[in-house]
Amino acid sequence: MGMNGAMLLECKDIMFQYPGADTPVFKDLACGLRTPGFHALFGPSGVGKTTLARMIAGEIKGFSGQIASEQMNNILYSYNLERLPGWYSVGDHLAEITPSSNKDKIDDLIGFFGLRACLDSRFAQMSLGQQNRTNLTRYLLQDFDLLIMDESLANVDEVTREQIILKIKEMFPARCFLYISHNVLEVSKFCNQILVLRSVHKTPQAMSVVGQDYTEGKPLKKQDLELTMLEVVHAA
Amino acid sequence: MLHRRIYQFVIVYFLGLAFLLLIKYILNLSDYLIPGPQEIWRTACRVVPRYLFSVMDTLSVAVIGHILSICLATIVGIIGRLTTWVGSFIKVAAYNIQAYPIVAVAPIIFILLGDGLSSRLLIASMICYFPLLLSFVGILSEPVADIEQFYIATKRMNWRLQVKIRAFENITKITTVVVGSATLAMVGTIVAEFIAANAGIGYSIRIALYQSDLAKILVALFLIGTCTSLYLTCLEWIGRLAQKRWSVPRGG
Repeated sequence: MGMNGAMLLECKDIMFQYPGADTPVFKDLACGLRTPGFHALFGPSGVGKTTLARMIAGEIKGFSGQIASEQMNNILYSYNLERLPGWYSVGDHLAEITPSSNKDKIDDLIGFFGLRACLDSRFAQMSLGQQNRTNLTRYLLQDFDLLIMDESLANVDEVTREQIILKIKEMFPARCFLYISHNVLEVSKFCNQILVLRSVHKTPQAMSVVGQDYTEGKPLKKQDLELTMLEVVHAA
Repeated sequence: MLHRRIYQFVIVYFLGLAFLLLIKYILNLSDYLIPGPQEIWRTACRVVPRYLFSVMDTLSVAVIGHILSICLATIVGIIGRLTTWVGSFIKVAAYNIQAYPIVAVAPIIFILLGDGLSSRLLIASMICYFPLLLSFVGILSEPVADIEQFYIATKRMNWRLQVKIRAFENITKITTVVVGSATLAMVGTIVAEFIAANAGIGYSIRIALYQSDLAKILVALFLIGTCTSLYLTCLEWIGRLAQKRWSVPRGG
């Protein structure tokens, strides 16, 4: 569970307290990601997962400590409640915001994420699951080194969610993902490294658990998965 | 929509008129003070063509003043949404200045600009400008985080897009404020004409006041109400059209 070796992303001695709050969110927080891949940020509600994610993305400043990243110039943070502007149809929006270098991915992602039937719809006309998938699709169509997915698949059914995660892993093996979820089974099964964030009163505040990093066709031992799940729950 | 506004106004107008006549008959007041229904009718037949022209004159000044105010409030609202000191200064200045009664400044405007069109236009604009500005600054300063997040994260956000997102998300509020301020534009123009102008229905009311001719004033009020209702209905129709074009039913 240690965090030694060269890090792709490293948070060191992070201290942060929201203005007006009685207790800090982080105290001497240290954590990091070692390799590209599909990783998770796990922890109970209110422990600071979104805060840490926003700090990594550069949206929250004014904390002490250091967040260092190697070869990560483009960090994107997305969350499940985002909306598309109402004046566009989904298809028009995706066409407009996709960089020309990624245009070839549009069709593949739209087809796989089951959005073909919604292309002429406005965002508000879609179901919550479709909205989440559309939002994630437009982020995947950007140029990024790290994509933080804050409960980005919250309203998507379990089977589709699994398929989407596997597809992301297949399409973007060299990119880095940080998936924020409360689903122990999901993070244990699909993630390479699971950063478990704990209460500010616990030391250390973050632990790292090695996940099963399941991909299509790779054997998965039930025992190993259960062990990982136990480790994650125990760490939390 | 039009007939609703018109009949609401007609009901209120005739209730007011009935109340006046009731006072006249209860207190046995002379026709000189409160004219009877026949006298009001005769006056109406005599002055309506002239007064209608005056009301249209007033309405056109009010509409131009209103449009100027909307444009100005939009420009200042766009600058006022900034988080820099300029934005803060504009916000504070707008809140402070709007608390001052513009009508009190009107005599200065007439002294400086005379009693022509420019004074009427300026007073009409100023009276409806500040409520518009406060709303526009409020709407354009309020981030729509769940839509803006993507554009900020991907470094695509610019001021035009930000204004478009915020205006689009608040189109109902903007329509309501624009319709509400239209009444103020009409009030501002009439007040300006009443104080010192040389044209418009406010000027006609001032003349009628000097002649102590209440019948003429009542006819003028009827025409003002009817024309204002028409203008408001027109604005509401434009607002509904914009909302209908942009908004879509929710899915599930």
